Amino acid sequence: MKYILYQLKKHPLAIVGIAVIIFWLIMAFIGPAMLNFTHTQIDSENQIVGPGVNGHLLGTDSLGRDILARVVYGSRSILTVALLTSILSTFIGVILGFTAGYFGGKTDTIFLRSMDILMAIPPLVLSMVILGILGDSTIVSLTLIVSIAFVPATARVSRGVLLTEKSQEYVSAARIRGENHIYIMFVEILPNTTGPIIVEATARFAYSIMMVASLGFLGVGLQPPTPDWGMMVIENKPVIAQAPWAVLFPAIAIASLVIAISIFSDFVSKVLIHER
Amino acid sequence: MKDNILEIENLNVRFSTFDGLFTAVNNVSLTLGYNESIGIIGESGCGKSTLSFSVMRYLASNAVVDGAIRYKEENLLEKSEREMEKYRGDRIAMVFQNPYSSLNPALTIGFQLDEVSIHHQKLSKKAARKATIEALEMMNLGDPKGIARRYPHQVSGGIQQRICIAMALLCRPDLLLLDEPTTALDVTTEAVILDSIKELKDRLNMSLIYVSHDMGVINKVAEHVVVMYSGEIVERGPKQEIFDHPSHPYTRALINCMPRGGVVKEKTKLNTIPGYVRRRGANEGGCPFVDRCDKRNDTCESKYGVRQVGEKHFAACDRAYATDIPEVLHEKLVPKVRETREDATKPTDLLRVEQLHKIYGSRRKVYAVNGIDFSVEPRSVIGIVGESGCGKSTTGHMVSGLYKPTKGRILFNDVDISIAWNKRNKETLKNIQLIFQNPGRSLNPSHTVEQIIGRAMKKLADISDPNERREKIISILKKVDLGKEYLEKKPRQLSGGEQQRVAIARALSISPNLIVCDEPTSALDVSVQASVLNLLNDLQVETEAAYMFISHDLNVINYLSDYIMVMYAGKIAEYGKRDEVMNPPFHPYTEALLSAVPEVDPTKQKDPIELLGQLPDPAKKPKGCPFAGRCHRQVGEICEREYPSMVTASDTHYYYCHIKPTA
Repeated sequence: MKYILYQLKKHPLAIVGIAVIIFWLIMAFIGPAMLNFTHTQIDSENQIVGPGVNGHLLGTDSLGRDILARVVYGSRSILTVALLTSILSTFIGVILGFTAGYFGGKTDTIFLRSMDILMAIPPLVLSMVILGILGDSTIVSLTLIVSIAFVPATARVSRGVLLTEKSQEYVSAARIRGENHIYIMFVEILPNTTGPIIVEATARFAYSIMMVASLGFLGVGLQPPTPDWGMMVIENKPVIAQAPWAVLFPAIAIASLVIAISIFSDFVSKVLIHER
Repeated sequence: MKDNILEIENLNVRFSTFDGLFTAVNNVSLTLGYNESIGIIGESGCGKSTLSFSVMRYLASNAVVDGAIRYKEENLLEKSEREMEKYRGDRIAMVFQNPYSSLNPALTIGFQLDEVSIHHQKLSKKAARKATIEALEMMNLGDPKGIARRYPHQVSGGIQQRICIAMALLCRPDLLLLDEPTTALDVTTEAVILDSIKELKDRLNMSLIYVSHDMGVINKVAEHVVVMYSGEIVERGPKQEIFDHPSHPYTRALINCMPRGGVVKEKTKLNTIPGYVRRRGANEGGCPFVDRCDKRNDTCESKYGVRQVGEKHFAACDRAYATDIPEVLHEKLVPKVRETREDATKPTDLLRVEQLHKIYGSRRKVYAVNGIDFSVEPRSVIGIVGESGCGKSTTGHMVSGLYKPTKGRILFNDVDISIAWNKRNKETLKNIQLIFQNPGRSLNPSHTVEQIIGRAMKKLADISDPNERREKIISILKKVDLGKEYLEKKPRQLSGGEQQRVAIARALSISPNLIVCDEPTSALDVSVQASVLNLLNDLQVETEAAYMFISHDLNVINYLSDYIMVMYAGKIAEYGKRDEVMNPPFHPYTEALLSAVPEVDPTKQKDPIELLGQLPDPAKKPKGCPFAGRCHRQVGEICEREYPSMVTASDTHYYYCHIKPTA
């Protein structure tokens, strides 16, 4: 703990990042309780009013829905999806990457080639196509699909860290002790690779927010009435001239969260990997 | 004073870290005259490298330096980075420990060397190349033009280091700093490099600072010796005086703990220095060595200061021969000696290796081990010695099951075990244990000591009750001189010697019959090496396990082994009982190895037999004697043409050479 404080002092920017993340977490947990409006409530008297008018702190959109309420509610879904995605894709990626790297040879070749195929399709396009085919996306399907789109990247990172650890002598020592493969992979090697894997997971967290927002913007994300930051941007695009705030605030929300998480992930990598 | 090229005055180097200020060099004053050479010696963590780095001003950004370093009357610490550039590489040059990381792998050797003279002496490209070739010639490198065209990875480690030295010499510096330049190299290469350094120093009128942990090496190149401990100079003076009359207990202990040539386990127990270098706070008084010193008295904790002992001999303490020490410490170190068993029948061999081959790679073959036969008797120690790349580790790894032999058989208690680990049965896995070279890497960094040792017990000795296991672990830790408090520690919290003790404990915990020790002491400090060797010997006597001890250090092998096997290029060069092999050596290679070992005692200087050339290309199957190309006793054409037949000198002693014993 003291060490973390020492590192924070050395990297003051990380404090900003962590503060923004905490702000959004608070918003997601208790934000809705502090609001005057709900995200679906239509205030037909106050359509397209500017920030601060009639109790709408960030204004309203063309239907008269409160922007603040929708941004706050939107943080819930986006954080849930992004968190689950980063956990799930790391989990699958570690299992796949470890298996491939550990056994090597043909297993590894098959793994690498299939990952190449998956990577050849941009993750955004891949998820769009699958989501488009599936139709209405829910939090579950969105999480699954974005995770799958991210698996090649996490798997490759896990394979890389495994390969450097695999040549260590403690692995040889475990082998001539007659340990089985699963034990060597997950009891001997895994604890020593947590640094890079956690860093990758936090970076994935930022990527998945971008991804979910992009999918929302493209109209294949979460379906209305669930508020989605990406979707809010596209919904209000036609009225951007009259109500710039309706586009601006969700965009700021996306940007602040993504940048904050990226800063945080940088910090984590400095603490866990570089300054050991 | 015009006669000193370098004067260091009250130099302090501190690093500000998470744990607060850490003193690496504490109040060091030193002078170096023109054409003089100084050897700095001490254990790792004593600040000797930091001292040499601070002369070059190569220090990390969190370093706080004060004091003065005067090079020809100019304080280097007051220079700007730009001004420093004029000194670095030009007037003051440095050679680092690791040649492969100090050469750029993407550029040719010639290009990298040319750059130096183009930058510093503003030579034209052509003139620079000429200087490069000249420098390479100075280091006795055959075919300098060819080498200049090659990339660093295309030459061997020894040649790389000679190239690094040639690079340092390009601008004819007045001061050359060498930071353990031969530590990573074989003894034979080391001998060649040390000789050329010595010769060039006189030829080019350089002053030399040579940093090493090895008394033998310092003895060869330096005229003055500086002993550092925990960032402070504890003793300095002319070499001869330091060796003859070390005044500080640390110096004396350091000289005594090296296993010298001719010291064997039956007669002597190695001297050790208990404990390890303690990190000191910034302003701690007293002698830094006090907590490890067996000659300490009441004043040691408070008083400290360097005094003059001889004409040029300074020391911080003169209690090296003090006799007013507690009675317990007078106890003479007596080694445990194995009792000779009276069962007259020759014991059946524990391990028998027949025509063992290992070939790596499929397309480009590397012949690592080329058909060796040997056997290991139970309760005996066989030492395998040879330069790096001779196949000694591969042999050990095949016996322990890490690799499957390509051809040949390994019989353990008459059971064929020439299969890989995953096909071996539990009994075999339990009976053959392996101790690795680098304890830091062979212990899982995220497991505790208890987990590390306990897992082997649970897996191979079927002790499933955790309490029973814990008790056994505690007793085994006690055997390797570690206390109960180590159970919950992780390898990172232990020193190198402690880590190796844990590794030894792990191997012993399941009472194996054969322990393969793959250079277990070469990653350790000399003082720690001595205590680990003592421990290994005591435990061998106690547990009656057989050892297969692999090392590149003949002194260590000589100390511990009953049988010695000398390997060269995947073949056995000589095999026999220790005394048969060592006095005198029969095979020319054994002779060369023996002569290359640096002598600790300066009165016993010897001329090493210089082995020129390199190991034969392991990708080709040699036709004649593999050693023929480097042999100093070649008898003739036959050496190149025919593999020599076995010469039997006695029942237990044989070697492969065309030179037959006379009568």
